[in-house]
Amino acid sequence: MFSSARHLIACALLLSCVATAQAGEGSFGWIYTLDLQPKGTMEFEQRLQLNRSQAQGKYDLWQARTEVEYGVSENFQLSAYLNTSSVSAWRNYPDGSTAGWLVPSSAGTDRYNRSRVDGVSLEAIWRLTNPVTDPLGIGFYLETTTGAVKDELEGRLLLQSNFMDDKLVLAANLHFAIEKVKFDKLEIGHESMMDLLAGTSYRFAPNWTAGVEYRFHNDFEGYAFNTQTQRAHFIGPNIHYATKDWWVTAAWRMQPALGKCWSTGTVECSGGYVWDSHSRHEVIFKFGMPL
Amino acid sequence: MKWTPALSLALLPIAAIHGPAIAGPRINLTVEQAQQRLFPGQALTRHSFTLSDAQRAQMQSASSVREPFRTERVWRSAKGDWFILDDVVGKHEMITYALAINANGTIKAIEIVTYMESYGYEVAEASWRAQFTGKTASATLKLNQDIKNISGATLSCKHLTDGVKRLMVMHDLALKGH
Repeated sequence: MFSSARHLIACALLLSCVATAQAGEGSFGWIYTLDLQPKGTMEFEQRLQLNRSQAQGKYDLWQARTEVEYGVSENFQLSAYLNTSSVSAWRNYPDGSTAGWLVPSSAGTDRYNRSRVDGVSLEAIWRLTNPVTDPLGIGFYLETTTGAVKDELEGRLLLQSNFMDDKLVLAANLHFAIEKVKFDKLEIGHESMMDLLAGTSYRFAPNWTAGVEYRFHNDFEGYAFNTQTQRAHFIGPNIHYATKDWWVTAAWRMQPALGKCWSTGTVECSGGYVWDSHSRHEVIFKFGMPL
Repeated sequence: MKWTPALSLALLPIAAIHGPAIAGPRINLTVEQAQQRLFPGQALTRHSFTLSDAQRAQMQSASSVREPFRTERVWRSAKGDWFILDDVVGKHEMITYALAINANGTIKAIEIVTYMESYGYEVAEASWRAQFTGKTASATLKLNQDIKNISGATLSCKHLTDGVKRLMVMHDLALKGH
């Protein structure tokens, strides 16, 4: 049986996995920008993220998202995703148990390995102002996910300002999510999340940009941000290369020991780090091409 | 560390085959080709000049373009018309364009010389470029004001418009009357 703590851990893990996808050509690893597909055009994007290293033992979580984006109008974009994952864990939690995001309570202290299709997502982005022509670009994002792992509704306020001939980009996302966690059939979780993502990217040479991005992550028990269970910080660099026919982005972020847990979330904190779906190091690789 | 190939990755080869086959075209003219399009049959002579720091500051202030202008990319016709080559920032690469200015200081035409981006090739269409014809250095030359935008090519439209403004200011400051 899942203890209530385990239940909350699972929910928190789920919530922490949502800050992932990105619109258009992504010069950031995790931050959405207002660079949308032109009307009538499509783009293919594949992303692969690895979360590695928790309190002890082994925890490798691979998450893949395959996406097709379509520009409905100049300022409105729709996307569809197929989400897949692979997790390998063994005695990775502070108490020596095998746990974490996508690891069911039945794992106990045994080794756990599983790959699966998590589900599908649909996303819409509406750009109110364009950072290329306006001092502040503003947009709204809505994404819904369903599948064997979770049902989720996400919203984001997208902000972006460009400087220096649009070579310097400052971007921020205020990100909210509510979700029903379903990967452990013994415990169904109801959680909410509020994140702030912010970063900058500079085009230092034709085709190349590099920058840094930060995530301030907050997990809550219940759909209405009822009780905060975790707070964590992540920061790291990104690099992006793009040509007319394809682009790639790689980003890495580390979790400094500034995290904090409350209430039932405390069982998945140690040494200032928040575990659940998080890790000391997170790496993402993204590839895209116009279709 | 172990990764079991997921279903989603099966779509990668499809995209790899499909994508490049229909990716956008490219525009890549030589300087001579651009000169012949704007001044067919005419001989152009390179014009040597320098820009002071104050003139460069004025050009940037009027246009917001920060990329340095290369003064060796200016030619003059026997009639006193000007051919100027310049670069502006594109989405991925630099966009090279040519501006032809009549001896009386009005824009004769612009030509896209090099354009290698995923989208936005509409900036090379005659209908968009024709908006510049006849304008002078005193024109606003601002996107969404006296120059119309093209949906899906906003960054290219903005930077080309700003670039033309910069060259017209430069003509007014350093080329007019020579």
